[in-house]
Parts: sequence; structure tokens; C-alpha cells
Amino acid sequence: MNPEKDRQLGWHVLLLIIVLLSLAPILFAVSNSFKTLGDAYNTVLSIIPRNPTLENYLHVFTRLDFLKITLNTFIIASSVTLFKTTTSILAAYAFVSFQFKGKSILYFILISTIFIPFSVTMIPNYLTVSSFGLRDNLVGVILPQLADATGIFLIRQSMRTIPKSILEVAGMENSSSFKTLRDVVVPLIKPAIISTSIIFFINSWNEYVWPVLVLKSKSMFTLPLALQMYISSEGGTEFTIAMAVSVLTMLVPLTLYLVFQKYIISTFTASGIKG
Amino acid sequence: MKDIVLENIHKSYGTNQVVEDLNLTVAEGERLILLGPSGCGKSTTLRMIAGLEEITSGKLYMGDQLVNQVASGKRNVSMVFQNYALFPHMTVEDNITYGLKVHKYPKSEIEKRLRDAFEMLELTELGKRKPKDLSGGQRQRVALARAIVKRSDFLLLDEPLSNLDAQLRQHARKELVKIHKKYNQTFVYVTHDQIEAMTVGDRIALMYEGNLKMVDSPKNVYHMPANVFTAKFIGSPSCNIVSVEHDANYLFFGTQKLILPESWINQIRDSYTEQLYFGIRPEHVCLHTTPTAGALTATVKYTEDYGNRMGIYFDIDGCEMVGICEDNAPYPGQTVYFLPDFDKIHLFDRGTSDSIGYPVNITRSNLNEPAYQYKFA
Repeated sequence: MNPEKDRQLGWHVLLLIIVLLSLAPILFAVSNSFKTLGDAYNTVLSIIPRNPTLENYLHVFTRLDFLKITLNTFIIASSVTLFKTTTSILAAYAFVSFQFKGKSILYFILISTIFIPFSVTMIPNYLTVSSFGLRDNLVGVILPQLADATGIFLIRQSMRTIPKSILEVAGMENSSSFKTLRDVVVPLIKPAIISTSIIFFINSWNEYVWPVLVLKSKSMFTLPLALQMYISSEGGTEFTIAMAVSVLTMLVPLTLYLVFQKYIISTFTASGIKG
Repeated sequence: MKDIVLENIHKSYGTNQVVEDLNLTVAEGERLILLGPSGCGKSTTLRMIAGLEEITSGKLYMGDQLVNQVASGKRNVSMVFQNYALFPHMTVEDNITYGLKVHKYPKSEIEKRLRDAFEMLELTELGKRKPKDLSGGQRQRVALARAIVKRSDFLLLDEPLSNLDAQLRQHARKELVKIHKKYNQTFVYVTHDQIEAMTVGDRIALMYEGNLKMVDSPKNVYHMPANVFTAKFIGSPSCNIVSVEHDANYLFFGTQKLILPESWINQIRDSYTEQLYFGIRPEHVCLHTTPTAGALTATVKYTEDYGNRMGIYFDIDGCEMVGICEDNAPYPGQTVYFLPDFDKIHLFDRGTSDSIGYPVNITRSNLNEPAYQYKFA
């Protein structure tokens, strides 16, 4: 046997195992969402349901205001994405193309905020949002997330790959900073902008802790909060419904990732961060 | 006036002085070449004129206006970059007309200028392509087209041909001169290639380590270099420079002496220098194989074959020089006799490395004579 081929085979087997391990929870959720509760308790690990049923999904769509919840999630995720992306582009552009005093210190401070854990900012943010009277309000969830240092970092990295002379040409044509940003810079880093937005969107879509603090009434709930309703502290009495909600929650981020994976992977490899 | 005047221009990055006390005037409609080795400050100078680098101190006037604080976009300049700096996401047409659109020119005018540029640079077929679908030569022409549609008073070129192969470069040089003749912009052109400098320039400004070494016509830079650096930088193979001593009517090459003609004796006397560098270009070296009156005796060290001609390395009492000949090259070890044409020699002060000047009766700017002169008796 060819030793090179042997090694390749070894790697492939290893990768296959890793893929299966990562897919296992998803397969588990999908298959159990099509089982009745009774079936699920008896055959929780079998992939193919014995008596497939849509009961759980029917429950979700009839007994839960699923559309409203999805809409809430969508409003939050898309607002956060829009704002974070816009502020990231503007801030990154300022760091790349303007010369001003204290630029590197400012950038350093900004980037260091990436390393502040959420639990540290959670309480101050909660108190601020409360004092604005935005508890149990979607705006209260959105407000502290309008800008993001990770986004500035990622977009700045990709703006830095644009040759300086291209920006200089635009400047020599007397093109304003904004016009240069709109006509030259943004089109050139479109892949990075798309992937950064998608990451923002998916993160926001899946977010649990912050919305659970701010949102109280069921009509304001997002998908992860709705999911929580079916997983009680005792271990879950309606866990097949929870699996159905999980599957529905996953659909949007998974689709987005599948459609745009080319951009996402290229942005992370280009920034030197492993995805 | 569309001239450019640099007055006592300094540029430094921190403690690193890149351009030192530069004084230079580029006349309206002139093609001035900034020539020099890498790191000599030529590109920095061009970028200061373009408004892409701040001037540390000194004054820069463009068309009678002090422009130190004027933004690049308001200086009425266009520039061709070494890497062309085309917008990768735009078509050739959009690249060329970007500036005109920013300046809100009427559509018909944009169309007209685009057509002119397309015709002049043979780009008509390529209008809808993106830069990545063009060859190097085509990209260079698009960059040039973008610079000329603006019809600005000043056209700055930063090594615009250095990414082209030799054949294309020759063609592009002619094109540049043609464009200049049509639009008559004030041209500042940076290059490290002396052939480009010679063929494109009305005048050459030679820079080294942030200083201006000589500014003159290509002929004068070649025939009457103002200092050792200029003599050695211009011409290939590079000019022979050897240390000689002067005494009365003679130049001493080691122990051998060369009798100087009257004109040079006067010139040396006026310069009050004894210790000199003697310079002669390899293509002006005449070697004789039989003893000749007044000639110095030399030994051939080795020869180099360039295909169409030979390089002869010879030694006169420790002074090594190289000469060029077309055929009948002497063989290594052979004794030859060196008698320079005194119209072709250069003498420099060894202390300052500056030329001691040239006798007035010497005509040097005659390029019609054959480039290589070798005599083999």
C-alpha cells in the first residue's frame, strides 16, 4: 500500500468522526422532533422514528404564537446586524484611512473590549436599559449592541488589504471620504462585510442570556426564550416539542451559513483567525 | 504658469531624512525625469508634489500657488502609479471616467474624452472588461488613460513602465512622449531606468540619498557629468573612475604619465586641485595594440563577451579600467596602449567628487557620432 494514501485515509477517518460527533446533537434533535413523547422516552437514541409524527410541529404552530416570536427574533437580529455592520465599517474606515492623534491607543482600547466577558457588562447594561424604561422592550435588547469591536477588527483587517494607492487615486480625484468609502472601499471588501454581518446575525439570533434578562412577557419572546419554556428545570416534560422548536430555530442560521459559507470561511482565514 | 517650483524642500520620517534641501523648478510643459537608485528620495519627492506626502519644511509652488497645505484632489494633478492602482471592481470605462464623474462633468464631455483616450491608447475593445482580465501592458494603458482624461495641468508618473517587459516598455515610452506632445502637460516622471530617463526626458534630475546630484538635459548628463556619482550612474557599463595625480602638464597613472593638452591644463589650473579622479566611459576607450606616441602602457586582465561586443578589463600601473570593442579584442595578458580622446575625458576633484569643469573648446553634446570608438592599429 502507498504510505501517502494510508495517511490520507487516516485523516479522513478522523475528520469523519469529528463531523459525526458535531452532527450528532442535530440529528438527535431532528429525529426526536418527529417522535411522540412516549416513543421518544423508549427510543431516545434511535435516528429513525418508529412512528413519525408532525404532532410536535403542529403544537408549535397552534399553541404558541410562533410567528410573533420569530418576528421578534428577526427584528432584533436584523437591527443588531445592520447597526453593528454599519458602525464597524465606519469605524474601521476611520482607523484605516484617517491620520489622527491617539489613533493606535484608541484602537488598542477598542480591541481590548473584545476580552471583557459578557458577565461583566451585563449588570451595568441592564441597569442602564432599565433606567431608560426599556425593560420588556425589543429596543432594550438591541440598544447595547449597536457597535462591536470584533466587527471593527475584522473589517479593518480586510480594509487593510486594499492597496494604499487605490485610496490615493480616489483622493486625487477629489472624491470625498464618504464617496470613496461607498464607491471604492465597500465594494472591494464585500465578502468580509457579508460574512461579518452573517456572523452578527447568527449570534444575535441564538442569543439567550441578554434577552432573557430584558424580556419578560411571552409576546416579546425570541426563539431561544420560547425553547426554554419547554425545558423545565426538572429535566423536561415536553422535550419533543422543545426539539421541534430547536429544529425551527436552527433553520435560519444554518441556511444563511450554507449559502454564504464561502465568504465566511475566507474572511476568517484572511484575518488569521481560525473559524 | 503651470510650472512646479520646489524651494528648500525637506522630508523626514522621524529622524530619517529622506529628502534634503531640494531646490528644483519644473518648467511648464516640460518632461522632467527624477532618476536615481532605490531609496534616493525620488518617489517621495513625486508624492510630495502629488500631495500624498506632507512636506516637512520648504515651499512647494504649483502654477504660482503655494500648495503645501492644498489637498491632493485640489492640485490639478493626475498620477500614474507603479502598480497602476486600478479599481478592481470597476470596468475599464468606469475606471477611466471615475474622476470625471466625481467632478460632475456633463455626460457628453465624459463620452468624448473617453473615446479620445480609447483611440489614443488602443483600448476601444476593452472598455467593458475588468482589470483582472487585462494583460500588464493593457492595465498600464488604462492607468495612463485615467490620468489623461482629466486634462490636468500636471501629470505625475511613478515608475509607470517598470512592470512591463522590455518590448512593451519601448512601445510605451514612445506612447508617453506622444501623449505629452498632444496635451502638453507638465510631466514629472520617476524612474530608476536610465534608458527611460534618456529617451523620455527633456531634462533629468538625478538624485542620490535625498540630494539632487545634477539637473540637465540627457546629453549633458551623459557627456558632462557634474560629479562622480552622475558619471558612474549614467551609462552601462559604468564610467571608469581612477585616482590620478596631477603635476604640471601631466596626469600620473601610477608611475606612468599622460601629457595633457593645453585646454585641460588651464582647466585644472583654474580649479586649484592636484588630486583628481580621471573618468572615461568604456565606450570611449581607445586601445592600440602597437606602441603609440604619448599612450600609456596597459595589460589586459580579462575579457567579457557581450555577444555583439567585448569588454576589455585592463590595468595601467594599478589603475583598472574597462573598455569596449566590437571585434579583434586583445587577449588576456596582452600589452596594449591607451591614449584617450581628450574630448571624452572627465576630471573630478578627489576631495569633493565634483567635476572640475570642462574646457570651453570641447564640444560634447554631439550624439550623432558613433557611440563606440575603438581603434586597433
